[in-house]
This record gives sequence, C-alpha cells and structure tokens, in this order.
Amino acid sequence: MDNKGLSLTGGPYWLVLVLVSSLLLCKNVASVPTCPRGAVNCEVPLGELFDRAVVLSDYLHKLSSEMFREFNKQYAQERRFITRAINGCHTSSIPTPEDKEQAQNMPHEDLLNLILRVLRSWNEPLYHLVTEVRAMREASDTQKALGTQETFAMQEALSTQEALTTQEALTTQEALTTQEALTTQEALSMQEALRTQGTPNDILSRAIEIEDRNKQLLEGMEKIINQVQHGVRRNEAPSPWLGLQFLQKADEDTRLFALYGLIHCLRRDSHKIDNYLKVLKCRIIYDSNC
Amino acid sequence: MDLEIDSSSFWLFLGQSPPGKPEISKCRSTEKETFSCWWNPGPDGGLPTNYTLTYNKEGNPFTYECPDYKTSGPNSCYFDKKHTSIWTVYIITVNATNQMGSNTSDPHYVDVTYIVEPDPPINLILEVKQPEDQKPYLWIKWFPPTQVDVRSGWLTLQYEIRLKPEKANEWEVHFAGQQTQFKVLSLYPGKKYLVQVRCKPDHGFWSEWGPEGSIQIPDDSTNTDTTMWIFVAVLSVVVCLIMVWAVAMKGYSMLTCFLPPVPGPKIKGLDIHLLERGKSEELLGALGCQDFPSDCEDLLVELLEVVDSENQQPMQVHLKEHPNPRLKPTPLDPDSDSGQGSCDSPSFLSNNCEGSQESPSIFHIPGGIKEPGNPEGNGAHTWDSRSTSVEGRVPYFCADGPKSSTWPSSQPPNKHNPRSSYHNVADVCKLDPGTAGSSATVLDKTDKCSLTSLETTETGGEEKAAEQRWVGSFHSKTDPDTPWLLPQEDTSVISAKPLDYVEIHKVNKDGALSLFPKQEESGNQTEKAGGLKTRMEYSKVARVMESSILVLVQDPPAPDLALFEEPAEEAPPSLSQNQEEKDLAAFAMTPSNYRLAGLDYLDPTCLKHSFQ
Repeated sequence: MDNKGLSLTGGPYWLVLVLVSSLLLCKNVASVPTCPRGAVNCEVPLGELFDRAVVLSDYLHKLSSEMFREFNKQYAQERRFITRAINGCHTSSIPTPEDKEQAQNMPHEDLLNLILRVLRSWNEPLYHLVTEVRAMREASDTQKALGTQETFAMQEALSTQEALTTQEALTTQEALTTQEALTTQEALSMQEALRTQGTPNDILSRAIEIEDRNKQLLEGMEKIINQVQHGVRRNEAPSPWLGLQFLQKADEDTRLFALYGLIHCLRRDSHKIDNYLKVLKCRIIYDSNC
Repeated sequence: MDLEIDSSSFWLFLGQSPPGKPEISKCRSTEKETFSCWWNPGPDGGLPTNYTLTYNKEGNPFTYECPDYKTSGPNSCYFDKKHTSIWTVYIITVNATNQMGSNTSDPHYVDVTYIVEPDPPINLILEVKQPEDQKPYLWIKWFPPTQVDVRSGWLTLQYEIRLKPEKANEWEVHFAGQQTQFKVLSLYPGKKYLVQVRCKPDHGFWSEWGPEGSIQIPDDSTNTDTTMWIFVAVLSVVVCLIMVWAVAMKGYSMLTCFLPPVPGPKIKGLDIHLLERGKSEELLGALGCQDFPSDCEDLLVELLEVVDSENQQPMQVHLKEHPNPRLKPTPLDPDSDSGQGSCDSPSFLSNNCEGSQESPSIFHIPGGIKEPGNPEGNGAHTWDSRSTSVEGRVPYFCADGPKSSTWPSSQPPNKHNPRSSYHNVADVCKLDPGTAGSSATVLDKTDKCSLTSLETTETGGEEKAAEQRWVGSFHSKTDPDTPWLLPQEDTSVISAKPLDYVEIHKVNKDGALSLFPKQEESGNQTEKAGGLKTRMEYSKVARVMESSILVLVQDPPAPDLALFEEPAEEAPPSLSQNQEEKDLAAFAMTPSNYRLAGLDYLDPTCLKHSFQ
C-alpha cells in the first residue's frame, strides 16, 4: 500500500502521520485534537478523522483479543462455551456484511451508520462488563490466599518439571529437543500463569480501557458521519443487550458463560468495526487504492 | 446348524477394522476470503477409506459438505469465496468411512476472521544505490502476495525483512511497517547479502519467509588505497630488511659511524696498550720522555715537596694547580724517617736538595709510614746507603696534571696510609739533599706513581678519590699527622731548609722522575714556570721506603736498580703478577738490599704497576 498524499486534505498530512504514529506507538492513546476545544469553525479533516478512527478501532480489537485470550487461559472453558455461544451475540440482529463483496457493495453511509449502531450497542454491555468483572475480582480476593497457593504450587510444579526435564535432556539429543519444546511451552505457560495470576485485574483493566476507547471511537464516528453525511443523521436504535440477567446470576457457571459470550462477541464486533473502517478509509480517502 | 458369519466379523477376522478417528489439524485463510482445512486421517483399518467433510455454519441449521477436496491437496477441503463467510463460526467435522465402518472427528470450530495467514511477499528487488557523497545503501523492494487485497483495505499488511551476509549465522531483522520498500545502510562492503521478506495481516499470523534474494555489495572505492597501503607496507619491510642486513654486516663500524665512541682521557703520547703490554720503555717513550732527562715541558704538572734532610726542613713541593697555603708541614711520626717534607707548604726543592748530599732526600709517600721504625731504618739505610747526595739536583717529579690519569692508581698503594690522599707526590718528593750526598728516593711501590698513586693512597684505598684529592688538597685530609707528611719534627732528617717544591717534569721510561730545577733565587711556590724554563734536572728515585718515602738519588743518573720497599702491609696482589713485582717483594723483604748509591731511576715496574 503506497502512502499517497491525501487528495482531500494535503496540508495536514504530516499531522496525520504524526498522530497515527504516536497513536500506534503509545499504548495510552491520547487524542491530539487538531482543533482546540471550543473552536467552532474548525473542522478536522476527514482523513485525519479516519486515521484516528482506524487507530482506535485497531487498538480496541487488540484489547478485546487479549482479554478473550486471558479469559480462556484462566477458565479454559472455550470448548465448553463455544457451543453454547453460537449465535448468541446481541448484535447479530444488526445486518452486517459477512464478506468482502458485501462490504464493498455497501455504500459509505450505510456502512458508517452500521458502525455507529454497533458501537452504540456496546455501550451498555461494556458498562456492565466492567461492573461485573470488578465484582468478580472482589469476590475472588477473598479466595486469593487459596488462589495464590494454587498458583505457587503450579509454578513450583512447573519449575520442578522443567528442572527434571533439563536433567534428562543432558543425556540424549532427543531429550534436548523435547526439553526445548517443554521449556518453551512451560515458559509460555509460566509467563501466562504469572500474567493471569491477577487475571481479574487484567480483565478488569482491559474492560475499563475498552469502555473508554469505545466511547472515543463513538465520538469520532459521529464526527465522520457529520462530515460525510453533512449532518444528516439516522438515529437507528442500537441493538439491546439482554445478557445482564445472566451476568448477575448466582450460578458461577452461568456467570462465566455470560462473561465468555460477552467477551467473544466483543472480539468479533471490534474486528468488524476495524475492518469496515479500514475499507471505508481506503474507499473514501484513497479511492480504493491504499 | 446355520453358521451366520457377520461380514464385519469376517473382516475383523482378516485384521481389518473401521478407520481410526480423523482429526482436523489446521484451517487457514490466505486472504480472508477463502480458507482451507486439512485433517489427519486416522488409521485406515486396512481398507480403502473415504473421507468426507461436513460443516455447519453459525446461525444456519443446514449441514453442508466440503465443496472442494482437491485444491488444497490431499486430506483437505477448500472453501472458495462463495462458501466463505467472515465473522461466522464454522463447525467442521470429517468423517472417515470404510467398509468396516466409519469414524467421525471431533467438531472443529473455526472463524475465518482469526485464521488469516497470507503467502509471503513476492517480486523481491534488491539494489545497491550509491548516491554521490554518500555511503552506498541497499534498497529493497517487494510486493504483497498476489491474492491479498490491500488496495481496498480489506487486509492491511505489515512487513518484516531480514538480511545477513552470506556466511553469517544470524539474521538482521527489520520491521518495515506497511511500506513495501526498505533501505539498509549498515553494510559490509564486498560481501554478498541474503535478503528475505515476510508479511502479516493486521490481526493475523505471520507468513513464511519469502524466497531468498542475494546481492553483492561492491567494494569500497578505496581499492586503490588498499593497493597503495600494501605497496607502502612492502616497501617498508624491504627497507627494514636492508637496514638489518647492513647492521649485521658492518656491525660495529656502522655503529661507530653513528655513535662515535667517546674518547677516553688520554695523555698525549701515552698508549694504554703499551701499558698493558708492560713495556715501560715504550710507554715512557710514547710519553715523550725518550731520555732522561728530556724536554717535556708539556708534561709538567706539579711540583713535589721535597724535604731537604740537611736543612731538616721539608722542602715543599709546589703543586701546580693548587697551591695551598693552608698546608702546614705536619710532622711525621717521630720515628719516621727524616726527610719528611711538609706537603703543606709547597716550595721548590731548592738547591738544598742538591746540596744535601749527606742525606738522601726522602720523600714521604703519603702511603703513610706504617712502621715508623722501618722507614727510619730505611731512611737510615737510605741515608747510609747514599753515598752521594743529589747535589744540585733538584728532584723533579714529572707528573701529569692532577688527574694523574697517567698514573693509574689501580690499587690503593697504601692501605695503611690513610692520610695520604694528598700529594703523594709531595711526599714522594721529599728530598734530602743533605744526606749522603745521594738521595735515593724510595718510592713506595704503591706510590710509585703515586706520583700518582700518591693520590691513590687513600684511606681505604680509593684510588679515584685519591686522585681527586691529589689535586685538591695539599694536606692530608685524614690525618694531619699523616706520616707521609713531611715531618717537621724530625729534625734529624728534616733539613733546616725551608720546604721547597720540586716540579716534576716527567718520568721517563727508566722510571726516572724528571724534576724541574728549583729556582734558587725565589722560593717560588708558584713559579714553577721559571724553573721550567731554566733547566731541567732529574732526580732518580733510589728506592721507596715503606713509608712511602721516595729516596732519590742525587748523583747523576746511572741506571741502576731501583729498590722498592714494600710496606709489609702493602702487597698488592697485582704485584705478584709480575716478576718485577716479585723482585719488589724481595726487596721488601730484604731491606738490606737497598742501595742508595747509583740508584738513579725509578724502577719502571712500579710505574707500570701503578699504571695498571
């Protein structure tokens, strides 16, 4: 993809580059407004808006993927839940393109509104996600002693196993390769075990950040739509989320399943949004010649 | 009885079984538009087994079968674009069927969204660009894989390149972002580089590394510089070799060319080698004292203090360089011989020496008078032996300058004469003209030259220091009572005459000391020059008494034996080396052998010895 000068904006292209690079490099994505707050007549160029939006959507999806991965590691329930999670996303009712042709055939406005609708649909679930995960963490704090012991035992078992494997590996070559495989696996699992030691925290922190970024993206999308549609807005109702009841069930399994479903759907929808935005950007800004 | 044989049991009987359970190993999409799945077939049970893949889609109750078993190879299923839905979970199962039965794999849940792994980038271009005034760099260009749709933004690719010199072990990896070209600046010139590129979709897996591209980095333009440095190196090596060879061949002569040897101190006419060879005649001849006496004005250095026995006053020998008014005649040991001149006050050996025929002039050699008795005896001998006194003879001692380098004071002539540092010559130069008419100067062997060694006579025998002192001081440093100092008190010996100095002109090869005649008219302590010009006289050293007293022969020279008395203590080992030295020893043993008369010359052996 060649970076061409923006046909529409031109001048602030360098600003866009700086912004994009800073957003990509920094985890804490901070918006760098071209227009200071309160400026009335200042209009951020569309290209810059899209760049920001793409950066946000990309980051959102990465956060969601990591959260999903951590959740699976901690609870290792994917195989069990996936069967029950099919077709369980609350946003499924919103018709979205399912492949490239459908995405390319959808006009800009539709696609933009679709994105906006999906984003809005996630406001509430995300809010509850944060609340629920926080509650779960507090609940798990009481069990922290047990959990820590378990984790430590797990670590010791892993390290002992690693040491034994190392000793054995010194004798034969096969053992060496085996050791490498084992140590690699164990190293990874150790790393993740260490990471997931405070998994509720990690999930919680990520959930909090996702909620923030989602709101930011929503603002950006509304600005984009204002520019593209010149203020004509369709107020389409977001898809309701009905999973709260399941999330608040006393049954842990139900709760976990609800949580899993939520995180699973979040991962997918964030990918959709990211994909659609990139297609739109290339289509609108680069005239389908990224 | 009907035997019913089940067909399956029949086949089981033959060792065949239904197929094992297949397993779906992997599903991949290269462009997020199609995807493929592969499975591992289980054991086939010995029978041809048929595999079928069926799938369900999320939100779709229908079950479909794999549309394409071929495209992706054996045991695969290829889902083309029509059959591929993104953001949709596929539930795939593989069914293995053979004659015996069938077996179904576990369902495999797959969402194409998360299985994207593209092909490697294509059309790798490598080029070394050399802009002016800049270092050359490697420019790498590539293209995304053909099937990936980057233009519409459906996939966003990021690239990574790696390169290494051909022989290196480790790759150098660079992340290139979304650009399709890259510049590498840190290159080793002259090496061949291998380059590879791979890509990754924004939320997918890295592709395999693309095909290797290679490029040769040209050498630096400093090729000529290298050649020049090689030439310089070879040239310098050659030059070094030549120099080494020259030094080896020429050796010392070259060294002397660059570093001429420092000339040692030399006495005009004195040849060290002659000294070593022991031919004193030649030596003295080289010195210029062909005959005794001869005109050796240039050799005149010092005057000796001569004691005139008649006068019983030490005649002071005037030292050329350092007249030392401080010098006072110090008495010798009371038992010491007369004729001890006071070395303190230089004075010419006046005609008193000549006149003092009765007693030989006795020069006390700073070597010190060890045994007062001996010298006395010797002195007596001397006196007695002296039949003739040196009349009109003013003993002169030729001596070189204070350096007395010509008088090698190799050994401390008198170890037992601590005081002597001073004018050994002075002591030597005791003249006792009053005695016996002939004065024989007995030179202590050590002092022999102590005309030089006089100096050497040092405390503890430090020759060099003695020489210094010889120059510097007129009085003994160590002990004012230096026996060698011309005793004043020995009135018997000391002539009444005031001390006079005799200037030593030279010493000829026969061992005769050539002294300048003393000026009668003036007690010229400093005016040796006058004496120099008027005439030169010689005095022969008859013998040296052990107390380092030179007994001079006042009579005309007649070659004769020179007796040397060695102080008992004085037995320099070097003497033993020489037969003459042995003679000396013999002489030492037998003082009775001393003869005063006819001793005209100083035995050169002692000189030689001292030279050594």
